[in-house]
Amino acid sequence: MPGKKTFIKFVIVPCSGIGKTFGSVSREAAYIITEDLRQDDTQLVALAKLVMGEASAVETVSGNPTITIDGCKLACASKMVRESGGNIMQEFDVLDVYRRYKELRPDGIAELNENGVKLAQALAEEAAVTIDKLKVDTKVGQNA
Amino acid sequence: MSEFLEILVDKFMFKVATDRLYSAEGLWLKSEGNRVRIGVSDFFQQHNGDVAFAEIKAVGKEVTANSEVATIETMKVNVELPLPISGKVVEVNPVLSTAPEAINLDPYGTGWLAVIEANDWNAEKTHLLEPLSYFKKMKEDAEREINR
Repeated sequence: MPGKKTFIKFVIVPCSGIGKTFGSVSREAAYIITEDLRQDDTQLVALAKLVMGEASAVETVSGNPTITIDGCKLACASKMVRESGGNIMQEFDVLDVYRRYKELRPDGIAELNENGVKLAQALAEEAAVTIDKLKVDTKVGQNA
Repeated sequence: MSEFLEILVDKFMFKVATDRLYSAEGLWLKSEGNRVRIGVSDFFQQHNGDVAFAEIKAVGKEVTANSEVATIETMKVNVELPLPISGKVVEVNPVLSTAPEAINLDPYGTGWLAVIEANDWNAEKTHLLEPLSYFKKMKEDAEREINR
C-alpha cells in the first residue's frame, strides 16, 4: 500500500516448557527483551501458537527475523520456528548461558528465585546486544 | 565398538554397554590394563538431565573407595559421584571443561569422565555390577520412576 510504513521487528520465541525452571528463565528473558530492553525492536510470539499453526503467528515468524530462546536441548522453539518457515537469526539456549554465569543457579517455576531472574536478565542483555548488532547488519527496524 | 543391552521404558530408550562394569549409582568402569576409565551410564545422564558442569577430581588426586570422584551439575540436580574403587586420578577428560554436554551426547564414549590408576582392580572389581545386573537394576529404577 503506497505510503504505508511497515516496521520490521525481531520476533522473540521462547520455550513453552511448563514445569521447567529453564523454560521459565527463557520466558522471563523474553519478557525483559520485549517489554524493557528492546521494546521498539521486538515482538513476542508464543510457541504454542506456532504449534497450533495459528495463521498470524506463522505469518509473523515467516516474515520477520527471529530470535529463539530454548529451555533445553530439545530446542522446541527453534524447531517450530523453522517448521513455520521462519528465519532464525540467533538461537539462545538457557543452559549455554547458564554455563557462562555459573553463580546464577536458577530455581523455581511459577516464580523464579533471585538467581533465576538475574540469569534471565543476563540472557536478555546478551540478546539485546545481538539485536543491536543484527540491526546494523540487516537494517531491520527501517521502513520496509 | 561397544555392544549394548537396550530397553524401552515408556518412551525412553536406555542402553547399557556390555564391555564394562558398573556401580549401583550409575558409574561405569572399564579396565584398560592397570588403569580404569570411568564415566556415567546412559540411564544416569537421561535421568538427571542436561549437564551444565562436570567437576572431576584433579589429576594426581588419590581417591579412596566410595569417596567422591566427581560432581555433575545438571539442569535438575547436583550429583556427587562416589568412586567404588580406590586409586589415583591420572587423566581427566579435557572435553568436559568446554563441552560437558558430551556426557549427554555420548556417555559411553567421548563423554568419559576420568582415568584412574587403580590400587587393586582385581580385588575391588568384585564389588561392581556386571552389565546384566546393572541392566536389571536400571530397568527397575526406570520403571519405578515412570510409575511414580
